[in-house]
Parts: sequence; C-alpha cells; structure tokens
Amino acid sequence: MNGNSAPVVIFIGQPNCGKSTLFNAVAGYKAQTSNFPGTTVKHTHSLVNIEGRLLNIIDLPGTYSLHPADPAEKVALRHLFLEKPDIIINVVDASILGRSLELTLELIEMEIPMVVALNMTDSAEKKGITIDAAKLQAKLGVPVIPTVAVHGRGLKELMEAAMRCLETKCRGARPRWSLDVERIVEGLTAAIPEEFVCIATRRFTAVQMLESGNLFCEEFLEDIVPGLKKAMDRSRAELKASRGLPAYEVIAAERHHLSQKIFEDVSSVRRRKRRGWGERLDDVFMHPVLGYPILLLVFLAFFLVIFKVGEPLEQLLIRPFTGLRGFLAAHLGGGLAFHLADGFTQGVGGGVAIVLPYFVPLLFLMALLEDVGYLARAGFLLDTFMHRIGLHGKSVSPFILGFGCNVPAIVSTRILESRRDRILTSLLIPFIPCSARTTVILALVAFFLGPYWALGFYLMNVLILAVLGWVLSLFFKTSSPGLILEIPTLKMPRPRNVGPKVYFQLKSFVAFAWPLLIAGSVVLGLIQSLHWDAIINTILSPLVVGALGLPRDLGVTLVFGFLRKELSLLMMLQSLGVSYADLLSAVTRNQLVVFTVFINFFIPCLSTFAILWKEMGKKIAFLSAALSISVAIVMSLFIRLII
Amino acid sequence: MSTKHNLLHAPQGAVLRIVDIAGGEAVRRRLFSLGFHIGDMIELGAQAILRGPVLIKNAGTEVTVAIGRGIAQKIVVEAVDERK
Repeated sequence: MNGNSAPVVIFIGQPNCGKSTLFNAVAGYKAQTSNFPGTTVKHTHSLVNIEGRLLNIIDLPGTYSLHPADPAEKVALRHLFLEKPDIIINVVDASILGRSLELTLELIEMEIPMVVALNMTDSAEKKGITIDAAKLQAKLGVPVIPTVAVHGRGLKELMEAAMRCLETKCRGARPRWSLDVERIVEGLTAAIPEEFVCIATRRFTAVQMLESGNLFCEEFLEDIVPGLKKAMDRSRAELKASRGLPAYEVIAAERHHLSQKIFEDVSSVRRRKRRGWGERLDDVFMHPVLGYPILLLVFLAFFLVIFKVGEPLEQLLIRPFTGLRGFLAAHLGGGLAFHLADGFTQGVGGGVAIVLPYFVPLLFLMALLEDVGYLARAGFLLDTFMHRIGLHGKSVSPFILGFGCNVPAIVSTRILESRRDRILTSLLIPFIPCSARTTVILALVAFFLGPYWALGFYLMNVLILAVLGWVLSLFFKTSSPGLILEIPTLKMPRPRNVGPKVYFQLKSFVAFAWPLLIAGSVVLGLIQSLHWDAIINTILSPLVVGALGLPRDLGVTLVFGFLRKELSLLMMLQSLGVSYADLLSAVTRNQLVVFTVFINFFIPCLSTFAILWKEMGKKIAFLSAALSISVAIVMSLFIRLII
Repeated sequence: MSTKHNLLHAPQGAVLRIVDIAGGEAVRRRLFSLGFHIGDMIELGAQAILRGPVLIKNAGTEVTVAIGRGIAQKIVVEAVDERK
C-alpha cells in the first residue's frame, strides 16, 4: 500500500445500495446516482480532507459478488485489486441485508481493513426490518455504522470509524463454513506456497481458485507451482463429490446460508399487514395490461411537459436577442465586424434562449424518472418488444438515458453481460433523440408546426430504431442470453438527489457545449464574411439542393452539426440571415421537416463518435457513422417524397 | 410431495421453493449472485403480456428480479404449504 501518500479508501457494494449517494455526500457531487442497479459503470476518484487528514476515496461500480458477470462489475473488481486499498468501506442495503451480506462475507475473506456502512436503514424500517448494528458488528468483527446517505445521516460517524480503522487495521472475523467444506478449502490453502499470492491472502486465493470458472492464472499455474493445478482440480472434485454440486455452487450456497443466518440473528422482522405504497404502485406500474398505457402516458407527459415549459420560455428569452441582431445589422453594416458580432450573439443567444428552455426541464424530468426507479419498470414492460429487435429489457435503461445524452448512455451499456448485446445497443443508441436533438425537434418542428408533429416525429424515430434493431440483429449469429434484472424498490424522488444532478449536468453543458456553440457560430460568421461558405455550399449542393430540396445556404450548417446538433439549428438562422420568429419566411414547412429529419439522424455527434470509439472500438464507431449517414439520407428522401 | 413446475407454469401468488435451475453456468451464477439459490422460497409476481418476463420475489431477502421467459422456463419450482 502506498506509504506516504493519502490513504486509499474504496467504496464498494452491491448495485443500487446507495454507494454513489454516500460517496457524493462525502466527496461533493462527483458520481452519477439513480434508482437503477448499475448506474455507476466507471470508477470515480476524489481527494478529500477529513478532519485534517487527506484521503483518496474511490467509488466503484456496484458488484453483486467478486465474480464479475458484466463489464461494469469487471471494472469494480479490477480497481479493487489495482488501487490496493488501505481500507474498504462496504456499503450494504439494510432493506435487503440478507443478500447484501453475501458480498460482505466475500470481502472479509480478503482481510483488508474494512468498515460496513449499513445504509438505507430508513427503508429497512419502513419494510418492518429492525437491525441491531452492534450485534452485526460483533458477528462480522468489523465496525458497522448505520447510515441514511440521502439525508447525510451517519456520515460523520462512518468516516470517524474509517479513520480509527485505518489506525487499528480492523479486519473482520473470517466466516466459518461447514466442516467438510472448510477442510477442503484449508487443504488447498496449504498447497499454496507462502510466496505465491495471486490476490489478497492465501486462503482468499484458494477460495477464488475453487470458485472461478476460468481462473486468472489457471493457464500458467502449472508452470509457477508444479502440482498446484492438480491440487485445485482435486479439491474441486472433492467438493463436487461431497455435495453433488459444482464447486462454485457449494461455496455460493455456503455464503448464502451464512448471510441468511447472520441476517436472521441480527434483525427482527415485523410482518406488515398492509403493503407499502411502493408495492401497491408497482401493482399498477407493472400490471400486465395497465402498465403499458401508463408507460405511454409517462412518455407523452415527458415530452409535453418539456414543450409546454420550454415554448413560452423560449419566446420570452429570444426577443432581446432578435432585437440585438437588428441593432447590430443597423450599426455594423455587412462586413467582418457584423459577421463576428452576429455569430457571437447567435451563439450566446442560442444557448440561452433556444437550448436551455428545453434542456433544463428535460434534465429535471430525466433525473426524476431515474430517482423514482421507473427505468427498471420500463425494462420489465418493454422486454418482450426488445426481444423482437434482438435485445432484452436490460437495454431499455441505456436507451432511456440516451434521451438525455447518448454519451453516458453508451458508457452505461457496460451493465449488459454479453458483448453482442453491448454492440447492438451501442449501435442503436445514436438513433435515440438526445436532449440536443430534442431541442432541435421542439424548437423547429413543435414550435413552427405544432406539438403533434413533434410527437409524430418521435414515433417515426422509435419505428426506425425498431426496424434497424431487427435488421442489425439478423447479422448476429448468437442470440441474446435473456433478461435477469433486479427491480429496485420504488422511492420518492428526493430533492437532494435530483437537484445536484440537474445542476451537475447543466454545469457541464455550460462549460463544454456552450463554448462550442459560441465558437462554432463565430467561426461561421468568419467563414461567411470571407465567403468561404459559398465553396462548401457548392460542394454540398447536389445533396442539399438536389436530393433534399433545401435552400443551398444550409449546406454549411450540416458540416457543423457534427460538433453538436444544436449548432446546426443556430447556424440555420445565421446562414439564412433571418431571426427565429421569421424562419418560415426563408424556408417552407416541408423543408423544415426534411432539415430536422436529416440533422436528427445524420452522423453521431463528435462526442458520441469519440465515446463509441473508446468503448467499442474504431470499427463500431465508423459502422455507426455509416449507418447514421445512410439512414439520414434515406429517411429525408422518403419524408420529402411523402409530405 | 407437491408437484414440480417450471416458473412459467407455477401458480401466481403462491409461495414456491426453487428446486433446480436447469440453465447454464452463467445463468446459475447470475441468479446466485442476485441472491436466488436452490432451496430458496420465492413468490411469483406479475407476468408481462406477449410472452414477456416474469417477476419473482425472494421471500427471504425481499429482492425482486425480472426474469425473461427463456430463463424462467429453466427454473424448476414446487409449491410450498404455507401453514408449515
């Protein structure tokens, strides 16, 4: 462990146990949270000062066990070993303690100093479960601190206990399994030489050897320690002979029974007569018939609320910028100064008046849906439809996240177990209208043609997604492994979760996207004053004018759409030289629709392309770009012909 | 001795015991790690339309998971007498 630098503190726990909420409460808002298992798919570092001591704390993706099944869990495991933690803070969900303890018992076997945060004690109480933390502490042999992360309760005590543990190196009491299993594990442990430690301790290594399907060092095991592989195979066979089950099942069952027993010993459960509000609501949300109209209503309400809030705001905010533009034109003439100043006001004004009115309500509603836990319900309901396009319900959550931004949505495909599902989902996500595209759709189609046109647009979008998914799935030989998805308890949305989340995303929009919008608009102003736009427009005119039937001046805006989709919208006004309110004097309604269709589908934006490359590789990124361009051209031609 | 069914044919709302998970190792491991083991008591909840997934809730841990039909078919359960 690193001697002189800040001690490494790792937050680890099962998915959706509130790790990230706890981490954020300690470290300030840094990690994404939501009520869906697997929201955190990458690790987050933060240096914090606690009572004068610097700590390097790390939030890891949730993992059900130390035997990873999906890429997000692999991240957790890799970092658990890479970071060489000085202390582990194991966050457990008190409302499902019996299951949460299975990971705790596995972590204790590593013999790294550890503190348990008994989180969500309030949810447990609501379920009628009271847990005796002191008794649990005695059983596990490590400090157990009750916390309620969303209210910040128990945080101080938790960090104090962690500091004390750093001094005393408190390690848990190693769990004792059934005698026959213990004997076999001890036997294999003895066969491992002192200096040979794959991970943690010899015993931990032995258990991992018995449990793993294909061991990290199995291939070269025989070369390092002659006879060890034989000892391992023999122990596995003995376990199988004694219980009639494969070795990993025997050990999983041991842990399961032990955690159940501990859970029963330390908690008292009052059977409730009435079902909680969450369960009763779930009866409706996940009702085989009622669930679907509700799902549809949720989505309809989602877009109508965004539009109804965004439209008046946009009208209100755009006025001063339109006035400013007239003022600039009157005073600066038509030269370079005007084009630059105009580009700048377009960029600033577009960000404030056109993008934010739709972006903020969208962020807010997304955060609300996530925090309540509706994504998992949608996954359950839509599983059967996802099967038609070769996927299953677990892909629903990345898709819905895509309505916010495609980038985190693609990263979140790490919750999918099979690579096939990841590729297919990542290829489809760029076809989900993200907040930028929603802004374009609402500000152009809904604003000028009416909200029902926009809804029709979304419907068409979903249809395209379905057809594309179905076609793409034909290219995969293997089928999807099928759905296994935990449905977390419904929770009341908490301002403490929703507020910072909206703020955090808004901040990153202002810091990252807005400068790009302003810079892009200024560059366009420069290009216009140098008359370079004519060259680009001429090159693109066969596509823009010939195929799509759009004004020739729009060619240049398409090029910039690669940076950000809203940029095309802002530049449309700039290059046509009209104000937002007078847009229909320069283009027809049909042209507006064709333009929106093309912008919406044409090429994933720069950030999406980059993340596709990083997560899935160059081939998939280029494949996605090719798909997008083809769909954009085909769809806009089709739309042009039918309207 | 009660009769054994796979999850798709089990009576809804009744308390069931998992007798066997006839899936491959990956599926078995996934279910174990979610806290569903052989011998556990579960309750069968809603079933989505059009051959959609089923919901099962572990009576011991109160964990609910949605399971696709392909996998549900491989989970063998038997009804348990609740008076016991």
